[in-house]
Amino acid sequence: MRRFVITVVAALAVVVAVSGAVLAGTGGGSSVTRARLERSLPTEFARLYADQAGLLGHRGVTPASLQARAMCDKGGAVEPDVGPGSNWICLVSWTDPNVPMPPEGYGKFEVDVHSNGCFTAGGPSKLVGFQTITDRRGREVTNPVYEFDGCFDPNGDNTPTGNEFPSVLNVTTTALLPDAERKVSLQLSCGTGSAGCQGTVSAAAGDTPLGTVPFDVSEELTTSLHFPTPVPQRAQSVTFTVTTTVGVGPTSPVTLPVPPARP
Amino acid sequence: MTTGTLPAEAGTTVPAVAARRPGLLAALRFETLKLRAQLRAKCLLIGAILVPIAVVVVVHSQPRPPKDTLFGRFATENGFAMALLVLGFATQWVLPLLTAIVAGDMFASEDQHGTWKTVLTRSTSRSTMFWAKTAVAIAFALVALTLLAASTIASSWLIVGHQPLTGLSGQTIAARSALELVSASWAVMALPIVGFTCLALLFSVWSRSAAVGIAAPVVLGLVMQLVGALGGIETLRPFLLSTPFEAWHGLLAAPRFTGPLLDAVVTSAGWSVVCLTAAFLILRRRDITGG
Amino acid sequence: MDTDPTVDSPVDAVDAVDVTKRYGDLVAVDHLSMRVAQGEIYGILGPNGAGKTTFLRMLFGLIRPDSGSIRLFGRTWAEAGVDVLDGVAGFVESPRFYPYLTGLQNLEALALLDGDDQRARIAEVLDIVDLTGRERDRVAGYSYGMRQRLGVAASLLREPRLLVLDEPANGLDPGGIRDMRALVKRLAGSGLTVLLSSHHMDEVEEICDNVTIMKRGAVAFHGTLTDLRAMAPDPGHRLGTTDDAHARRIAREAYPGVVVEPDPDGGLVATGSPARLSAYVADLVRAGIGLREFTPTETPLEALFFMLTDAGTTAERDVA
Repeated sequence: MRRFVITVVAALAVVVAVSGAVLAGTGGGSSVTRARLERSLPTEFARLYADQAGLLGHRGVTPASLQARAMCDKGGAVEPDVGPGSNWICLVSWTDPNVPMPPEGYGKFEVDVHSNGCFTAGGPSKLVGFQTITDRRGREVTNPVYEFDGCFDPNGDNTPTGNEFPSVLNVTTTALLPDAERKVSLQLSCGTGSAGCQGTVSAAAGDTPLGTVPFDVSEELTTSLHFPTPVPQRAQSVTFTVTTTVGVGPTSPVTLPVPPARP
Repeated sequence: MTTGTLPAEAGTTVPAVAARRPGLLAALRFETLKLRAQLRAKCLLIGAILVPIAVVVVVHSQPRPPKDTLFGRFATENGFAMALLVLGFATQWVLPLLTAIVAGDMFASEDQHGTWKTVLTRSTSRSTMFWAKTAVAIAFALVALTLLAASTIASSWLIVGHQPLTGLSGQTIAARSALELVSASWAVMALPIVGFTCLALLFSVWSRSAAVGIAAPVVLGLVMQLVGALGGIETLRPFLLSTPFEAWHGLLAAPRFTGPLLDAVVTSAGWSVVCLTAAFLILRRRDITGG
Repeated sequence: MDTDPTVDSPVDAVDAVDVTKRYGDLVAVDHLSMRVAQGEIYGILGPNGAGKTTFLRMLFGLIRPDSGSIRLFGRTWAEAGVDVLDGVAGFVESPRFYPYLTGLQNLEALALLDGDDQRARIAEVLDIVDLTGRERDRVAGYSYGMRQRLGVAASLLREPRLLVLDEPANGLDPGGIRDMRALVKRLAGSGLTVLLSSHHMDEVEEICDNVTIMKRGAVAFHGTLTDLRAMAPDPGHRLGTTDDAHARRIAREAYPGVVVEPDPDGGLVATGSPARLSAYVADLVRAGIGLREFTPTETPLEALFFMLTDAGTTAERDVA
């Protein structure tokens, strides 16, 4: 037993020493890059989506006709877009006459990428469907695009694709909580995208304007906007109008109820 | 004791050339004779045929397929996917262990039985013994791999089916092509297996212990796999002997890519050469004091 | 390369010159030189740890000497590699085989390594060592003595001209020892060159012509057995009398060349030249003292052996 432990420890020591030398010489980069993912993911997705269209009986859908494009990002604005991880997000846009794209123009895929260049991607159920779909003959079959594995060439084309998509800005507050002075704040969340979200939000309680507050949020971050004017006593709701200069915001104003004032 | 004819009278001079000169072939027959008499070799080969059948049956009957391994999600519906799933399982520790059980014992068994002094005092040199043991170890590993592959592919075909396969780039692969690609994927595993065989031979010579010769390559293989999966140090991957076990991925992609395959050839060859050289030098220089 | 066949004198079977082997601070073999002519029966004697086995391992190429050369039939390992062992066979320490193979399979396997399908001879050598009938049993089930005999059989399979046996009777029961010595004697008598190592003087005494006595890696004596006998001191004789005190008085008064001491195990030990002892014993009888026992405690050569090898106390001697 002791000999076994000594052998393994010695072997590991040799391995560690050699590894250290290799890393010192080569700098420890990665073959998992944004460009490679942006080329391989939409290509595979297009083929699988065309398979799905075949199952569903949708006509006129081929991998080429979809013209799928992707923009991939790892872990928000701060983290570099290189290396394996389960926090890769790919924004994929395609053209299918049967399924229109949302206002931002893409669907969001969550991708878990491994160091060997293989990945597992999960698609947005609103656009691609759930785990199972009903084919044109009425049978329940596995949805090929809901979740799929793929591998890309670790030595593949690494030139940037230039695909950029805007971030989606969402209002995440569902109920207003005025503070002691009856001022309200609104939480915004900026999704994955190329440039983050910028713009202004105007709030009004009935006829009373509550102010216009600008925002500048990086992708995959949230922020809280505080409106300077307090909400009038008898106001029952507040309407927020979002104007985005960078990014895609809600297309219509958001109205949130105000809880009744305590007697 | 009875009388019998005793050796001839001592000559007065040395004969010019000895009548017999045993070569590598004789040593190969020697090692093969020994291996065939050992139960473990037979058990391993029989296991290589039977175990995949059991695995295919068990996985096929699972309600939820194993999604964490490539092709696992199709394994219950597609025989080719099943064969590739089993391949993925096997490369984790089964293949290194399969070869290490014989190769890790090749040299250490002589130390265990004390027979170095018996075999090295015949007419066969240390080099010839070394190469014979190496050749038999590698041949065994390749035979075991072939049996494992054939059994897996055949039982997957028969039990799960031979439907068209969805490849790693979403492409649909027809059954005939799929069979070729799956067979090629299994065949490519010969490269890292030869590497691990040589590694096990090195441990066998160096440690003189069969336990170390068998376990150390497997442990080292697992450690290398873990290291290879880490981010940030991926320039190490081409140097790890566990990386060639994934070289088959490119065969199932469209377009097919062969970079990792070529890397696998270089990596496996490199490890094999280094390990065999070290093992050879250790054996040649060793003083046989035991036995 | 080899000796010129036109030269008269045949090449020595073994020619070791100044062979040394060190393990760290321990000198296992210290500048040993030795020549064994063809047809000779040669003995290497020494207590355990004297370096006999180390030297034999170097002869077989199992160990590399630090300095010096060993020639077998005129060839060194450096020149000829494993060809040096042509016509050479034997074993070092107790012979080892593959326990999971039968005796017959072991011999067949070793025959492969000799480069010949010596199948025909296998039955013959098994007969010589009296293992016929047991060859299909696994070696794992063999007794110690059977394995020794299988080792001799494996050696004979090579049709050797030089047979090197390392303590062939070691570990055997008295019957096995007797049989093994008889076998070695017969082999020696057939014209083979035999190099025998042992730590029992009487074994070597029976069959060897020449002997090297080793002590802590170095040569303590080198020469023929006749020379050795000439050097031998008078051995002590155990004396059992009916009147020990009287016997001692007679020795003190009338036989200055005879030393009579009490033996710790009881009785007396008398040491002196054979002639004086005979006269002394005759005198004891004449004086009316009864003689119960008069046996040598060790052979003259054994005595010399212990002297040369510094084997120390009686306890150590018993172990050797």
